[in-house]
Amino acid sequence: MKKVVVHPERCVGCMQCMIACATAHSQTKNLFSATLEDPLPRPRVHVGAGLYGEGFPNRCRHCDPAPCMFACLPGAIYRDWETDTVLIDPDKCINCASCAMACPFGVIRYHEDASAPLKKTVAVKCDNCLERQNQGLIPACVEVCKSRALTFEDPSDAMKRKTNEVAQSLSSDTSRIEIAPGFTLLNTIKRTQVELKIEN
Amino acid sequence: MKYVIIGNGVAGIQAAETIRQFDSEGSITMIGDETFPPYCRPMISLALEGSVDQDKLHIRSAGFYDDLNIRPVLGKRVTGIDVDNKKVLIQEKSARPSLQASSTIMDLICKLLSIFGGDPGTEPRRGSETGFEFDKLLIATGADPRPVKATGLNLKNIFYMRTEVHVRQMLEILPGAKNALVLGGGLVGFKAAYGLLCRGLHVTMLIRSDYPLSMQVDEKAGRMILDQLSEHGLEVKVGVEVTGFEGIKKVERANLSDKTAIACDMVVVGKGVLPALSFVPRDKIQADLGILVDQHMETNIPGIFAAGDVAQSVDIARKISWVNAIWPEAVEQGRIAGMNMAGRQTAYKGSLSRNVIRIFDLDVMTAGLVNPPSDPSYEVVSSDNLRLNIYRKLVFRNDKLAGFVMVNAIEQGGILMSLIKNEIPVKIPKAAMLEPSFNYNQLMM
Ligand SMILES: Cc1cc2nc3c(=O)[nH]c(=O)nc-3n(C[C@H](O)[C@H](O)[C@H](O)COP(=O)(O)OP(=O)(O)OC[C@H]3O[C@@H](n4cnc5c(N)ncnc54)[C@H](O)[C@@H]3O)c2cc1C
Ligand code: SF4
Repeated sequence: MKKVVVHPERCVGCMQCMIACATAHSQTKNLFSATLEDPLPRPRVHVGAGLYGEGFPNRCRHCDPAPCMFACLPGAIYRDWETDTVLIDPDKCINCASCAMACPFGVIRYHEDASAPLKKTVAVKCDNCLERQNQGLIPACVEVCKSRALTFEDPSDAMKRKTNEVAQSLSSDTSRIEIAPGFTLLNTIKRTQVELKIEN
Repeated sequence: MKYVIIGNGVAGIQAAETIRQFDSEGSITMIGDETFPPYCRPMISLALEGSVDQDKLHIRSAGFYDDLNIRPVLGKRVTGIDVDNKKVLIQEKSARPSLQASSTIMDLICKLLSIFGGDPGTEPRRGSETGFEFDKLLIATGADPRPVKATGLNLKNIFYMRTEVHVRQMLEILPGAKNALVLGGGLVGFKAAYGLLCRGLHVTMLIRSDYPLSMQVDEKAGRMILDQLSEHGLEVKVGVEVTGFEGIKKVERANLSDKTAIACDMVVVGKGVLPALSFVPRDKIQADLGILVDQHMETNIPGIFAAGDVAQSVDIARKISWVNAIWPEAVEQGRIAGMNMAGRQTAYKGSLSRNVIRIFDLDVMTAGLVNPPSDPSYEVVSSDNLRLNIYRKLVFRNDKLAGFVMVNAIEQGGILMSLIKNEIPVKIPKAAMLEPSFNYNQLMM
């Protein structure tokens, strides 16, 4: 199954993905009219800066198991198995931010959103552009990214493993047996560094 | 395989579901004294404050037990465990009218007395005894509110806040209430006070330390919280205790240790919780404040496990055995206990205190050790922007993060949490982690 894959080393920090994402999740789906909407559409992908100012597109990794899912008090976070996407039900969300405490990537934001009941602040994050995908389109952030820092492809096993290990370090996983406590994330980070070097 | 789970809170539910993932054949019996379908305990405070309806609290459907082929034994309290014969015991109460209105408080007094050696006078008269045999047992009985010592506790409108029934009782009398007194500034006392303020009551809070949530936050964050609550009308009295309550049938007045009195028409006792283990034979099953468990959530007796608020395990940040009575730990411990009970060996890393609290215009997130001892191995870095009401404090033990407090701009807190939980040495400048622009990528340098 194709997924959005992030290649931070290629990011030039132009933030086009943020604009495209906000537009894709607006009511009108048009950049100019979207800026007039209430609530104002906001992006679900966030371009941050690394320690040396380099760009870094950050979005939900749809981890499996997803630590936010276990942390959510009312059980508003669920996995859509067909698309392997972690989703938040805005009707159920109580805006408690327990998921912020659980997400090891820091990608969840809290605000009003076109998908939520009027005037209700809810947790919002990447939904893999399921609405667009249903119409045969690729995720908006990928479509707009000219430097190929965001691609839509079958992720390598290494990539999947990398994400899930970070996630597992924050949730109790059913498929894992007797790990040495504490080392998972460290190892993952080390491996990521090596992989990033190799890819370059 | 016969599994018995005592307690139908989140730890028990998670364990039952996990056992079913691995063992579709074994029999699972769940004994719990609450009869409402599985619900989210922290959300009862939202029902009090009025932001969530009472009927939106459940986290599993009413068909939960049927769907997983679990035999529910609800509305019953376990009274003992026969460790040698592997049996859980329920002493059926004989037909004696229960003390309706003040049953919760009487219950607690009975329980407290039984913790301190028992008082046969207040125990229910012996009735018939039922036993449930087990091969694997999970004790997931959670915690009970810590009772207060005061006279007049039998008056109406004095509440604890632990169960949905407690909140339902409070909601019933809210329309006629004007002045509320909250005892204790811990998480529950604080949430009760906040909820009642949101309902428009005049609330007075009695706390021992100078600011609320002193176990969760440091002084600076505590004062920010206090200021915020005071701005919305909360009255706080520091360093005084209640000595007794007075009133005709209902509570009308609380007498304080400083010889003053406060008029109040409802009282919420929120002075922390104690693990609910009065039925556990301590000569057999090792317990300290909570039931002691190893990294598989197993007690010293093979085949008997404990999870959730009743269990005591290693605290990752404090490095000592500790009870962290919080929801995410109950979830995780329940799952790990379930896996190990079903024969899937899985280790638990240890627990970590953490909390996220949203009140009026403040978001507060805390984890681990926030008030470190004065010891050269600890280093504290902090920054604030009082104009934006932002505060951050990070506590390091040598090169590892051991705790933090964040007030507002809390979105990146999960990254800090994972650093503590996984005990990862921090290689980047510590001050960089205080920046609002701090993100996951910066750790990968
Ligand atoms: C008002 C309030 C707000 C909270 N807010 C937060 C929060 O914001 N964040 C957070 O992390 N945590 C919060 N908590 C704590 C959280 O609710 C608990 O940590 C969690 O519910 C513990 O789950 P548990 O399954 O271990 O125990 P419980 O949920 O207490 O379940 C134990 C069950 O066992 C039953 N039982 C006990 N003894 C017996 C017996 N002898 N026989 C049969 N049944 C028995 C009890 O009745 C209960 O139903 C809050 C708690 C309260 C009360
Ligand atoms: S903020 Fe919403 S999605 Fe996040 S944990 Fe709370 S209820 Fe769940």
